[in-house]
Amino acid sequence: MIKVPKKPLPSLLTVIGYPFAIALTIFSFFQVGFNIEDFKRNWENRKLVTDTLFDPKWEWAIENASQALLETIQIAILASILGCFIALPLSFYASRATNQTTVTYLIYKSFLNFIRTIPDLFWAMLFTVAVGLGPFAGVLALVMFSMAIMGKLLSETIDSIDLGPLEAAKASGAKHNQAVFTSALPQILPNFTAYFLYIFELCIRASVILGLVGAGGVGRIIETQRIFLRFDRISPIIVLILVAVIAIEQFSVWLRRKIL
Amino acid sequence: MKIPKQPVNQRVLKYLITVLIVAGSIWSASGLEITPERFLSAPSKVWILVTAMFPLDLSQEAIDRIVPKVGESLFIAWAGTVIGAIFSFPISFLAANNVSLNSFSRATKQVLNVIRAFPELILAFVLLPITGLGPLTGTLAVGIHSIGTLGKLSSEVIEGIDEGPLESIKSSGGSKLNELFFGVIPQVMPTITSYWLYRFEINLRASAVLGVVGAGGVGAELINQLRFRDFPRAGTVLVVTILMVLIVDTISAAIRKRIIKGREIKV
Repeated sequence: MIKVPKKPLPSLLTVIGYPFAIALTIFSFFQVGFNIEDFKRNWENRKLVTDTLFDPKWEWAIENASQALLETIQIAILASILGCFIALPLSFYASRATNQTTVTYLIYKSFLNFIRTIPDLFWAMLFTVAVGLGPFAGVLALVMFSMAIMGKLLSETIDSIDLGPLEAAKASGAKHNQAVFTSALPQILPNFTAYFLYIFELCIRASVILGLVGAGGVGRIIETQRIFLRFDRISPIIVLILVAVIAIEQFSVWLRRKIL
Repeated sequence: MKIPKQPVNQRVLKYLITVLIVAGSIWSASGLEITPERFLSAPSKVWILVTAMFPLDLSQEAIDRIVPKVGESLFIAWAGTVIGAIFSFPISFLAANNVSLNSFSRATKQVLNVIRAFPELILAFVLLPITGLGPLTGTLAVGIHSIGTLGKLSSEVIEGIDEGPLESIKSSGGSKLNELFFGVIPQVMPTITSYWLYRFEINLRASAVLGVVGAGGVGAELINQLRFRDFPRAGTVLVVTILMVLIVDTISAAIRKRIIKGREIKV
């Protein structure tokens, strides 16, 4: 006779977690206020959007938005390059494997965590106030954005590197920085490249909306047309953005496959 | 005989990438008329803004106004994630090429790609005239975007499962449906649940921003305070938002870790 092991009791997480999740869900939907009456009344308004949304004004969009779209892409390129290369040295300080000093480790780690909590558009708003309206504020916002993501991804990668080469370099007389540079950096460079391409994609997406708060790019045009409900002008811009985003994504997938 | 392709010369590639990066940043910087001096002068300007925010405006009136708005962002993010999770779950099975038909899978993936390409904010202002100013618009925007991202991630998880259990179910006479319920779902559930939580963390940041177009949440509060140059109060908005995000991130990360690692069971 085979003894079947007893089924363990449900864990504390399931006992508390499930009811809590369900309660939070009900409460959230109640809070965000789905009201069928309002919805019915507003449903008539859909014509405002749908009538114009599917009647794209292509000439207008290409004439007015292509320059701004280029600006958007430039913001993303500059910001992702700057952000990622600033994050590269920071990540080494924010990892236990390459930074034994607890105090500086904690400082860098919490600094990266801190900038990650502020959403991209909040950075954009803050920088538009600090350095003035325009693409420069957008660049700074996305630098913070990409720095935060790269810092987190890369420092976690550095945590899991093979410590052998580091030890070997130190045993043969290298200083700590030399050891990190010659034996830790080459280990994470392929990851760095992959993350960089991923972050570049994220930045392209994020840079589209920067203009909504005046931080440059194609969002500025979307915002002005949105206020006048000119969805016929917005929809071709959205399609243009879509094409650009997908093209860049395909390019980066191709490049990633070539490099890795 | 098939001759393997010659690998790209590593050194050539290295130079090419360096040139690409340098040329890309110069082209972008000149196009945006950004000079190194502007970068050097930026920190002092940011510092002026930071000092203007302190001391924070912690008056009762400010707190009463800001905390509910931050809470609203939290509810938008949660409700949006739930919408995304519920709808993306069945869709991800359709999109996974080892569970669904090949043509189905390809079509579903394309649909998910298109959904994913629209940022939440763009969805929000297309929805705005229909669902009205308020958190409902934000919830729907976050939810729709989450369907795209969660659908993609979940379908990739399903594609990566171990086929062994499926085979053993098949060989002991199980139906296709049995395979799905006893072979696929138990394997993918922990990872997919942790993706849901991870998406919730991302949605929290997205929903905080949505207020900018009037779709509910704390974003409207921040942009208004900055417009009226009420920096201490803007500072309070920021600090409360950061605290909330930090707390939620910490809890969610702990739960995710526990879900992936599983519970230790003493035998």
